[in-house]
Amino acid sequence: MSTQNTDVVELRDVHMQFEEKKVLDGTSLEVHPEDRLVIMGQSGSGKSTILRLILGILQPTSGSIFFKQFEITRLKRRKLQQVRRSIGMVYQYSALLSSRNVRDNIALPLEELTDKSPDEIDQIVDQKLELVGMKDSKDLMPSELSGGMRKRVSLARALVLEPELVLFDEPSAGLDPVIASVIDELIINLTEKSQVTSIIVTHEMGSAFRIGTRMAMLYQGKIIEDAAPEEFKRSTNPVVSQFLSGSTEGPILEGTQDAIATK
Amino acid sequence: MPEGNEAVIVAPGVQLARNFFREVGSLFWFVAHTLNETTERLQSGRLPFRAASFFRHTQRAGVDSVPLVSLVSFFLGLTMALLTGYQLQRFGTERLIPGLVSIAFTRELGPLITGIMLAARIGAAFTAELGTMQVSEEVEAIEAMGIGPLRFLVAPRMLALFFLMPCLSTISNIAAIFATSLVSRAYFSIAFVYFLDLVRDALLIRDIITGVLKSFLFALLIGAIACYRGLSVRGGAAGVGIATTSSVVTAVTTVIGFDTLYNIVYIVFYPT
Repeated sequence: MSTQNTDVVELRDVHMQFEEKKVLDGTSLEVHPEDRLVIMGQSGSGKSTILRLILGILQPTSGSIFFKQFEITRLKRRKLQQVRRSIGMVYQYSALLSSRNVRDNIALPLEELTDKSPDEIDQIVDQKLELVGMKDSKDLMPSELSGGMRKRVSLARALVLEPELVLFDEPSAGLDPVIASVIDELIINLTEKSQVTSIIVTHEMGSAFRIGTRMAMLYQGKIIEDAAPEEFKRSTNPVVSQFLSGSTEGPILEGTQDAIATK
Repeated sequence: MPEGNEAVIVAPGVQLARNFFREVGSLFWFVAHTLNETTERLQSGRLPFRAASFFRHTQRAGVDSVPLVSLVSFFLGLTMALLTGYQLQRFGTERLIPGLVSIAFTRELGPLITGIMLAARIGAAFTAELGTMQVSEEVEAIEAMGIGPLRFLVAPRMLALFFLMPCLSTISNIAAIFATSLVSRAYFSIAFVYFLDLVRDALLIRDIITGVLKSFLFALLIGAIACYRGLSVRGGAAGVGIATTSSVVTAVTTVIGFDTLYNIVYIVFYPT
């Protein structure tokens, strides 16, 4: 189904429920071309669910999700697979295929989805590995890589088909602050260089403000704040203020076991 | 009996039946989607998976299973020849041993023993491997790239089992018949040449065809169950363990169940 839509991604009144648990409750969001949108929120608030909904891996309970002119929720499997080629995803734990070395991991989408010759594929792999500073690690297996190196390989794999949209699920989680900054800078450089739009899901404050050109806060299944980083910092929304300050006093913990325990 | 008690007794049975049919339905859906993804890919003029991946699985499922299958079948052949031989000797009919063992193996035991061994050896490996890929988000990553995980991960495994199972079953038959020939020679004074004549006289082409058809059927069942269980894993390492156990138990039970069903159908339609 097509619409006249200039946004790269649009979520319209999306509801998502896993059995009894309501994760998204009327989420609406637009992502404009070349945005680096950071979605913030508590753990388990449904941030990663949004990424999986955009990829069509999960189906929403109701509502619609658009990637450019395509309504993801209504696409047939074959078309959905084609659309996914324009979207790259970097997973929280990298999700590299453990049975393949670095080169084969990056080459996989090219081998499976394009008609490029092995020489061309090698060239592209080398180029992408150089971009992420991993040229010498081509023959290593994922188990031989550190967390930061895996993230970089995963980033190279996500960029190998020249996507229009890249999704990042907690890109700096589990990394030391220096490597986390390296990954953040890589994300900024690569997305700027190739003019791609990106959505970054994180709850690491430093990383979020470094990367984002736009920030959104997901709370109780809804986007409660959506603004440029400076404006977001000055937000008067009590949930946003509490989240940014990391305070235990405020609406986020109200009525929860944690709040009762602290009283 | 009061109405409430009946409900207590009936409800778990209904639930069990519902779960059973749901699982059977999901398995059919899984096989149908794998076929669909594979044929779609073929229609677009491309191989559904890489030849290297297929050969890696044939090596694991087939070639590497040869020692186990031949050894177990050899010992089973020995035991069967000895046990039946001593009984038949009492009636002076020990020359029936070659025919008895060769028919039993080509028609029944060869495919069955191979099926059970492959369910345990390869089915478990497939489930654990795919299950681990599932929990570490590798399967989702493949799907997110726009690659069909069923044609890419499941099809080469199922196809490798499908083609290799009849070969392994034949090896099992040969090992068992060879063991029988040794026992026949050593204990019942049946010379090798005479042994071969007796086997040739007893074996019918349709016994061999039956065995081969069974092997293909068992391969499909084991492959489908193992891969389905692997891709349905939820809940981390514990989930992989549970799925692997369940895969072996389900595959072995299904293979034995289908073997019985096949024999009943065969005897009803081709009684001899």
